[in-house]
Amino acid sequence: MPKIIGFNAEDRFNFLLALIGYLGRRGVVTIAEAATHFEVEPDYLRRAVMSVNDAGLVQNDYAHYHFLIDVDLADEGLLSLIENDIVDDVPRLSTRQSAAMAAGLSYLATMAAFSEDLELAELQSLLSQGTGRGAVATIEVRPGTADANAEVIRKALVGGKRISCEYVNTKDERSVREIDPLRIDPRSDGSYLRGYCLINKELRNFKLDRMRAVEVLTANIGDEARAVGDIEDSLYVSEATDTEVTVDLAPEAYGLISEFQSVVEPKDAGHGIIRAVINVGHLPNIGRLIARYGGAAVVVDPPEARRLVQQYALRALGERTAETLPLGEQD
Amino acid sequence: MAKRTEWQPNRSEKSERLFQLASALLFTNRGLTKQELFFGIAAYSEALAQGTDEDSLNRMFERDKSDLRSSGLLIDTPNAGADSDEIRYSIKSEVFQWPTNIELSAHQLQLLNLAAQAWSHASIASDVNHGLMRLRALGVAPAENELIGLAPRIKTHEPSFIPLNRALDENIEVRFEYRRPDGTVSTRHVQPWVLRSIDGQWLLMCWDLGRREVRNFLLKRIVSKVTFVKENENEVLFEAPEVTRVEAAIQDLREFTASQIAVLRIKRDSRAWFHYQIDSQEAFAEVELQYMDVHLLAEELRDFGADIKVLRPKPLIEAVTAGFEKVASAHA
Repeated sequence: MPKIIGFNAEDRFNFLLALIGYLGRRGVVTIAEAATHFEVEPDYLRRAVMSVNDAGLVQNDYAHYHFLIDVDLADEGLLSLIENDIVDDVPRLSTRQSAAMAAGLSYLATMAAFSEDLELAELQSLLSQGTGRGAVATIEVRPGTADANAEVIRKALVGGKRISCEYVNTKDERSVREIDPLRIDPRSDGSYLRGYCLINKELRNFKLDRMRAVEVLTANIGDEARAVGDIEDSLYVSEATDTEVTVDLAPEAYGLISEFQSVVEPKDAGHGIIRAVINVGHLPNIGRLIARYGGAAVVVDPPEARRLVQQYALRALGERTAETLPLGEQD
Repeated sequence: MAKRTEWQPNRSEKSERLFQLASALLFTNRGLTKQELFFGIAAYSEALAQGTDEDSLNRMFERDKSDLRSSGLLIDTPNAGADSDEIRYSIKSEVFQWPTNIELSAHQLQLLNLAAQAWSHASIASDVNHGLMRLRALGVAPAENELIGLAPRIKTHEPSFIPLNRALDENIEVRFEYRRPDGTVSTRHVQPWVLRSIDGQWLLMCWDLGRREVRNFLLKRIVSKVTFVKENENEVLFEAPEVTRVEAAIQDLREFTASQIAVLRIKRDSRAWFHYQIDSQEAFAEVELQYMDVHLLAEELRDFGADIKVLRPKPLIEAVTAGFEKVASAHA
């Protein structure tokens, strides 16, 4: 679950509605069970009981209360909704709630892991009634671009098995590795495997499209891998050898700072350009990082990084005009 | 799942007020006037008793209505044209209930949890979490022990995403400046239909009022703020498109993509060779792929630098080259 810091007014309002629906369906339930179900403290629930019982309407000096949760029973640790003149069933989702959920589900549906999940399909059709836009797939992945290795690795992961593969790293070095897979992180630029690398003896990120010949081994993942705790979301790991690179980004290249968190708060440099500072682990990589944006991202500093970008582009241009690609520059 | 111990019990006046208001509006059949609500609902009458003036109370009521609306509770005003003191408000219960007789499985709730976590943008994540909270009313707890092994994330770093998302939710016309890959900028006035992400690129599918046709705009090429079009202070609303029109537009885009074929020549054992999962003993391999936008594909291909040579089509060759030329001159 994403961490929710505090519980704001809308969160609480929403919780009160859900609580009524839940009690209506469940009949008598212990406070402890309801607290576990909603992931709140039992005390929080006791106060919610008062809020629910307080909701009323005074008309012509007559007070009508919409709900009644038995207070005596609540004192004994039981919740029982004995009067309810409004909420017959579960409160409906808003279109925004439905749409955001439907989009998340359509993302899951693009993944091989769920391609035959009938329960997912059923859920999608159910939510499509509430989105106002029908069953439109919000998130689509072009056939053929999905990571071919993802499902093999995921199955190894779920089964707790070690894998081996060929890997080409960001320095274009090739190797054969054994990895204990821990999690797959699908991202907009492709999927990453977060796994314990048996060569480096630490948690590493492996981009799936840099792997080939993936094999599931018979060995189980090791104790070191099991000892890895929560894995952070950010794929970036800072290293002492990182180089700080200042870049100017037009909107077309804003994606670069979502990939590489800016070291400092990006500054508005006018005309929609923002100036950010990113950490680059292996500086020669700056060429391809910047070149992909075709001029929408420009390195300001250091000069060495500017030179590398220029070289990368010139080299690509030079080879593009040549009759055939030279073979001499392979490993 | 971690227990949300940080959800501290605090009784917020606003949450209780929204709850009381929603309950009263759901309860009433004939609708209630503002005065009836102000005197009948404890949260308002207490505010009045504590000296809140009528203007502030009116503003509070307007905000509350808008909060209820954004939470999916559509407020009905059967006599909308009447004098503001006479207008009656209510919420129809049929717009409030989840389709009845629905049972979700623990696995389905787990899928919804995963879908909720995928949103990295706080405001969307909060919509999804509110939705999940409501679904908890079904009484099912998500399956916790079933290991799925995936942690997908949806990135929405484009500043236009949030305003466009609101505009299409509330059917508001918008204006923005759009920069085409050739650098020309034009102002677009559109009715947003749907936001879609294709291979990680967000795209707005909409009705372009200037061109009078369905258009797709890449969010990354929107170079201005997105503004809601207004007429006399009021946002200009449009009628939501028929689902069949949206589906037809999506199908058109799919067919267009399927018809665009690029052919690449890839150097053996390069990163591109890995990326396209080529299995061959030759020094070079040719791959064919479909693409939606020549400039987006050119971006992707520049990433592989000299490992790839585009054989066709010509516009793609030109786009890749033009990009490298711009990069080279910007870093000279």
